[in-house]
Amino acid sequence: MRRYPAYDPPEYVDWEADPELVRAYRSALEDDAEVAGLVGSFDEATLLSFYRDLLTARLHDISLKRWVRQGVISKAWLGTGEEAVTVGAVRALEPGRDVVTPMIRNAAACYLMGMPLADLFRAYLATPDGPNGGRDLHVGDPGRGVIQPISHMGTNAPVIAGVALAFKRRGEPKVALTFIGDGASRTGECHEGVNFAAVQRLPAVFVLQNNQVALGTRAAHHTVGDLRRWPDQYGLPSKVVDGNNVLAMYAATRAAVELCRGGGGPAVVVAETFRMGGHATHDEREARETFPAELFEHWGRRDPIGLYEAYLAERGVTADRLQQIEEEVTTAVEAAAEEALRSREIPVDPERALYDGVSEGGVLHGLAVRPV
Amino acid sequence: MAEITYREALNAAMVEEMERDDSIFLMGEEVAAYDGAYKVSKGMLDRFGPQRVVDSPISELGFAGLGVGAAMVGLRPIIEFMTFNFSILALDQVINSAAKMYQMSGGQINVPIVFRGPTGAALQLGAQHSQACETYYVHAPGVKLVTPATPADAKGLLKAAIRDDDPVAVMEGELLYNLKGEVPDDDDFVIPLGVADVKKPGSDVSIITHGKMVHVALQAAQQLGKEDIDAEVLDLRSLRPLDVDAILDTVARTNRVVYVEEGWPYVGVGAQIATLIQEEAFDHLDAPVLRVSQADVNMPYNKRLEQATKPSAARVVEACKRVLYV
Repeated sequence: MRRYPAYDPPEYVDWEADPELVRAYRSALEDDAEVAGLVGSFDEATLLSFYRDLLTARLHDISLKRWVRQGVISKAWLGTGEEAVTVGAVRALEPGRDVVTPMIRNAAACYLMGMPLADLFRAYLATPDGPNGGRDLHVGDPGRGVIQPISHMGTNAPVIAGVALAFKRRGEPKVALTFIGDGASRTGECHEGVNFAAVQRLPAVFVLQNNQVALGTRAAHHTVGDLRRWPDQYGLPSKVVDGNNVLAMYAATRAAVELCRGGGGPAVVVAETFRMGGHATHDEREARETFPAELFEHWGRRDPIGLYEAYLAERGVTADRLQQIEEEVTTAVEAAAEEALRSREIPVDPERALYDGVSEGGVLHGLAVRPV
Repeated sequence: MAEITYREALNAAMVEEMERDDSIFLMGEEVAAYDGAYKVSKGMLDRFGPQRVVDSPISELGFAGLGVGAAMVGLRPIIEFMTFNFSILALDQVINSAAKMYQMSGGQINVPIVFRGPTGAALQLGAQHSQACETYYVHAPGVKLVTPATPADAKGLLKAAIRDDDPVAVMEGELLYNLKGEVPDDDDFVIPLGVADVKKPGSDVSIITHGKMVHVALQAAQQLGKEDIDAEVLDLRSLRPLDVDAILDTVARTNRVVYVEEGWPYVGVGAQIATLIQEEAFDHLDAPVLRVSQADVNMPYNKRLEQATKPSAARVVEACKRVLYV
C-alpha cells in the first residue's frame, strides 16, 4: 500500500518484505492441515476482501491521526500494527447474528459488522447524528451486534459473558466475542468474567490481544508467566496465533466460534502482536522513548498489511489489482470522513444532547437543579 | 391480602414476575442450591431450574457484569448481593456500565437489571459488614434506588423494579426479613417507583426517612404522641426517582423536618433532602432541618457501642423537640 510518512510509524515508511518473514507467514497458513484447507480454498475475491478490510482499518486510523494533527479532534486511540487481530477475529463472526464488544483499538470491528464508516468518524466528532447522538466516542450499534467499547479495560469480559449467557438461555446459536488486552487480562474483573463464562460453558470467544503493552507499561513489567498459558487456568481450549497474520487470526477465531456454536465454549485465541504507536496519539513519543527500539524494529518488519500483500502476490494476485482495491478503499474512507465532517454543521441542541434519553433515574429532580 | 414476612414478600415478587416473564432470572452467591444466604430465594431453584436461578462464584464484579451483559441483549436479571457491603466490589459494573450505558449509547442500549439484597447494619457484624450503601448508588445518574420498609412495600417495589427498563437497586434490611405484614396477593400489585408514602400522618413535625429507619421513626412518633406532639412519618421509599412533591407537601404542613437515615451524615441522603427543602421550601420552614444518622465513624463491633452509633428513637425524639423548640 501507499505509505504515509507523516502518519505511519517510521518502520512502515520504506517497508520492504523480508523473504524469511513472508515464508513464515505462508507456512503458518500451510503447515496446519485444517488451516491450509480453509485458507487454500479462498478464491481471489475472498482473499481481497480481507485486504480491503485491513486497508480500511489502517486508513480509518490515518484519517483520525490527520484530524488530530489538524486540530479537528484532540486525540485518537489507534490500532496501527494490530489491524489483523481485529479483522481476522471479527470476520469470523456472522454479522446480524453474533455480537462483539470491541476495545477502542478494535474500531474496525464496527465497520466489519456493517456499521457505516462515516458513523465511526461521527462518533469521534460527537455530531448529533452519530449512532449514539454524539454522546461518546465509543461507538456501537446493537442492531448490528456491536456493543460499544467500555472505556476501561477488563470490564467487557463479564459483559460479553452475560451476552453469551443470554444466547445460551434462549437456545440461540449465537456467539459473543470480545478482546482482552495483555493489560486487561491482569484485572480481577476480567478474571471473574472469564471464569464464570467457563463455569457456565457459555458461547463466548475471548481474543487475548497481547500487544505487549498496557498503556505505558510493558508486558514484562506487569505480568509474570506466559500469557500463552493464560487460558489453561480456566480449562479453556485455546490457540496461539501470530496476530499480524490476518488469515491465521481468521482461521483460529473461526474454529473458536464454531466450537462455541456447537456448545463447546468458551474458547480463547491468543493473538501476539504489537502496538506500533502510543496508547493514543498524544504519547507516541513517550512510547518510543520507553520501549526498546528493537521492539519497534522487530514488529515493524511484520506490518500485517505489507506481509499480506507479499502473501497475496505469492497467491498470484497482481499489484495492479491491489492498487485498484487500495484506490477504492482510500476513496471510500475519505468520503466517509468528509461526510462526517459535514455532520458538524448540524446544530447541537444542548438540551437534547445532555438530557434527552437520560434514564429516568437521572431526570426528575435532577433536571430541576441542573447547573445554570 | 395475607399476612406474610418481608422475606416471603420478596420471594413472592420474584416468583410471580418470573412466572409472568421468561426473560427474568435470578443470579448471585448461594441463591440456588442454598436458597439464598437469607433464604429469600427459597424454593426457586426447584421451581425454575438452574438456568433461571443461577449460583455464581464469589465474584460480585463478575456476576454483576454478566447481569449487565445479559440485560443489554434482552434478558432481565435480578442480581442478588448477599449484602450491599459486598456490592462495593461490583460498583464498576453498576456505575460505569449499568448506569451509563443508556445515556452513552444515545438510547440504543438499555439495561433492565435489578440489584437487590440487604443494606445497613444488622447486629454486631463489624464495620465492613454494617454499612448503609444508598449514597454509593444514588450519587450517579442512571441508577434508581428503592428501600422497602414493610412486607407490602417489599413486594410492590421489587415488582416495579423488575418491570422497570432501567437499572434499579432494591435495598432491603437484614433485620426486616422476619417482619410480618399484610401484603396484597394480587399478581399486579406494583408500587410505582418514585412515590413516597405517609406511614403516619401528623401535623407538628415531619420525620422524613427511608428503609429500615421507618420503624425507628414510627417508634419516635409514638413516643412523641405521648407528649402530645403529632409527628408525621414520611417514608420516601424511593431515593431515585425522588418524590419531591411529597417532601414539599409535608414541609408545607408541619414546617419542621427531621431526616433519619442509617448511613453516615457526611454527604448523606439527608444532606440532599435538606438542600432540596431549603432551596424549594425555605419560606415554609420554622426551624433548620436536622438530621439523625449513624455517627460519622465506622461501625464498632461492641454491642453497646454499636447501639450508640446507630440512629435511635430517642435521638429522633430529641431532634424533633429541637426543631419544635420544646
